[in-house]
Amino acid sequence: MKPINTGIIALLVVFFFRMVPMMAQEETEGVFLPTESEFKDPKTKVWFNTYGKIRISKRFFWDAQTHFRFQETKETPFIGQLAQIYNRHALAYIYSKKVNFSLGGVVRVNFNTDEDSEDRNVVPEFRIWHQYQFAQALYSAMIYHRIRIEHRWTQGFAEDSEYIFRNRWRYLFRAKVPLNNHKLEPSTLYVSPEAELIMQSGKQVVGSVMEDLRLTTTLGYILTPRLTVAAGLMYSHGQTFDNPGVFNQNWTLRFHMYFSPDFRKVRNKLPAIHLND
Amino acid sequence: MHYFTRTNAFRAALVVLCTQFCGVYGQEQRTYSGPYQLGKYKGDANFGYLISDQDTLLQGDFKMQRSSLDALLAKEDNSFLFSGAFENDYPTGNWKFEFGEFQSDKQTQVVDYQYRVLVSGVQEEAKGKVVKGRPDGPWIYEVNRIADSEVAETLFKSSILFDKGIPQQSFQIENTENTLVGRFLRDGLAHDEWSLFSSEEIGSSESWIFKEGVLLRIQIEKEGKSTDINFTGNNAKTTKTINLDAAYLKTLHLLQTNTETVDLSKSNMEPLLAENAGYYQKLDTILSQLGKATFLPEFKVKVPYYPLDSLENETLDKLAEQYKMAKGISDFFLSSSQLGILKLSDAEANRLYEVVHTISKEYLHPLGAFLALKEAGIYEYAARAQVFQKLFPQLPSKEIKTPQKEGVSAMPSFVLPNADAYDFTGTSLNTAVQIASYALESLQTVEPVLSKKLSKNKREQELRVLEEQLIAENHALEQLLDTVSNTLPNAHTKALEHIKSVTDIKLSEFSSAEDVVSAKALLECYKSMNNLAKAIAALPNQSVEIEETYTDRVWNPFMANLMDEEVKKRITSAYKKVLVPYYLKSTQEDVDCGNVNELVQLMHTTHERILELRDEDTTKLERKLRRENDPKAIVALFNVKEDQP
Repeated sequence: MKPINTGIIALLVVFFFRMVPMMAQEETEGVFLPTESEFKDPKTKVWFNTYGKIRISKRFFWDAQTHFRFQETKETPFIGQLAQIYNRHALAYIYSKKVNFSLGGVVRVNFNTDEDSEDRNVVPEFRIWHQYQFAQALYSAMIYHRIRIEHRWTQGFAEDSEYIFRNRWRYLFRAKVPLNNHKLEPSTLYVSPEAELIMQSGKQVVGSVMEDLRLTTTLGYILTPRLTVAAGLMYSHGQTFDNPGVFNQNWTLRFHMYFSPDFRKVRNKLPAIHLND
Repeated sequence: MHYFTRTNAFRAALVVLCTQFCGVYGQEQRTYSGPYQLGKYKGDANFGYLISDQDTLLQGDFKMQRSSLDALLAKEDNSFLFSGAFENDYPTGNWKFEFGEFQSDKQTQVVDYQYRVLVSGVQEEAKGKVVKGRPDGPWIYEVNRIADSEVAETLFKSSILFDKGIPQQSFQIENTENTLVGRFLRDGLAHDEWSLFSSEEIGSSESWIFKEGVLLRIQIEKEGKSTDINFTGNNAKTTKTINLDAAYLKTLHLLQTNTETVDLSKSNMEPLLAENAGYYQKLDTILSQLGKATFLPEFKVKVPYYPLDSLENETLDKLAEQYKMAKGISDFFLSSSQLGILKLSDAEANRLYEVVHTISKEYLHPLGAFLALKEAGIYEYAARAQVFQKLFPQLPSKEIKTPQKEGVSAMPSFVLPNADAYDFTGTSLNTAVQIASYALESLQTVEPVLSKKLSKNKREQELRVLEEQLIAENHALEQLLDTVSNTLPNAHTKALEHIKSVTDIKLSEFSSAEDVVSAKALLECYKSMNNLAKAIAALPNQSVEIEETYTDRVWNPFMANLMDEEVKKRITSAYKKVLVPYYLKSTQEDVDCGNVNELVQLMHTTHERILELRDEDTTKLERKLRRENDPKAIVALFNVKEDQP
């Protein structure tokens, strides 16, 4: 299959899900389910994400991600105002070139984007997360499966809001298809369709198990083996926490920078820099 | 002194046993019995001895022997037996020597309760009396061939009567070919007729007629023909008694008066005497090692004696010196293979070669024989004039002619301009000196001319070889250009073409002034230029090599694959963007015979260095390279070890 076709199919998938009418939800206690799924108007968001994978030894790297997420407001449509600053860190173990595992924590700072709100402006959110990633080569492309499990403590902006605990179950499928080359190497433009399903569970989660379904298409460019930039558009939707019959919708413009420095000393790099190859 | 080979314990036992026999004037008579080595002979010995003033003196019976049945049965046995007696370290009394060399057929018989093994081989046997270490009375030395334990043939036998070591009366020496019978006077001088009969040629004989040691004549009968050889000096006022040996035979050669000299060195007399002397020498060696002995049979003869005076000795020394110099020159030219070839094409060289050859043959050869007589100590045994005439039956000619070849015009003969100053008349030593001087001066006249010819010839050959090498180098350069010009980048090809144009100019300059020195220089230059051309042709491959060396396979955690990463880019780009263009520019602009090696060396070492730098910590170097565009500065930076301040 040509890479370009894969990209087109991914985009079609995005539109397909967009068009599927949602199933009616069961009515829950205290919450009146609508007779038909109700889709809120989509919000627009802009994310600036940095991903660092810093090699610290033959088998370990430090995963350091910082995201700046903006969300539209009434005052500033489209780009909106800063909604979250998101810090995700982990220690990752390289099992092989194609398989790696991570364990770490997230501190997310949530900003209240509701300009009319009387509540707190900033609240923190904590997570513990672990992740299992598998990659495989498919012709000139690469495909990736990512299972990420998060244990999440969140609270609302209200003064007396208490932390609630939830688990998140995430599966991401992603492909990277080189467009101007036969493989992914420096000076290569690639397209990356991806789909991620985020499920959640917890005592407070009643009915709203599908937190988010994210469908993204990204265009990336590999500058060097250690630096890649990418930009993409994501459509996502999921059940609102309060009412399973109501769905949020988002259009998110995402900008990414991927960097992977290696601060090991030359003499440490030399003997076994490439693992098993 | 001799030594014993035995154990100390054994010696102690002997001392105890022997003390009672001890003896005279406080000296202690002892005996030894056991393994013993005497020169090359190893065996068992029994003998008595005295210790006197810390000297060991043999005294009493002596017996030493060896035979080995094992060796005999295995392959071959060398047996021996020496038996006799000593008195105060002098062999005295009856002595017997046996030397056997036996093989066996390994067949045994039992006869009278004894095992018998038949042997074949050679047995030597000598017996006689000895007085004070000298043979006395009749001595017989016999060599027999033994077959199946019986004498099959007598190979040699000599019977000589001695009186205290001096041969007396008549003697007989025979081998399988000849028999010599002769007489001595009481003082050992040969006397009367010595006859040598051949047992192979019937009727062939040699008779040497002596009178009180002086050889009067030799009568040779051969194939029914009789020849007389006469000798001069028989009436010489002074004579000298010498041994009858090879030197004597040479003397006889000088003393012959026959017009046609008979070569007496081919006489059978001498080998027979020498064989006999050899056997006696064997006995002398054994006895001398044991005690005091003089066992050589001295057959005496008398020769005329003309002693050299001090003036003559000086003259002979001078002659020897001149001869040595002249011989040195002639040997050099005659053995020069180069002259051997040159004389085929160069008539003058050929003429001079012939001069040297003739001088060597007609002058130096007789002079050499002259000096050999002196060396052998027999020069004094003949009259001066006689020696001169023997060696120079014809005087050498002062004028040396070149043998004329067919179809070649005659070359002038060689003669020294001052030839008249050399006086070849007379037969004295001085005449010989005149001849030697003439030979030496002639050779010294020829030497510089020939040497010059040889060295010129050598230069021309050298030049030819150099030119061939030059052509080969030029060809190699052209070939390189042909091969690589299609594949190389344009700038590289231009550099190569420039090299070719430089060498072309140098070659045309050389052809206008051909000489060995500039040919050598040009050849060196060509070689260096070829090296440069090869180095430039190799640049693209070297760049690839460097690129590969400076490429790392890096694992990209986002893509989960391996990517090629160029590392230490400042180093590789300094090489690619500054150094390579600099090499090409230098080649095209100012390369010359004088600096080409430097450039080749620079290219080579820099390349090697860059490959080394891959594995070194180059952080500082890379920082310094950041804004550096001067090739020389870059080279300087490269050659500095990073860990040095």
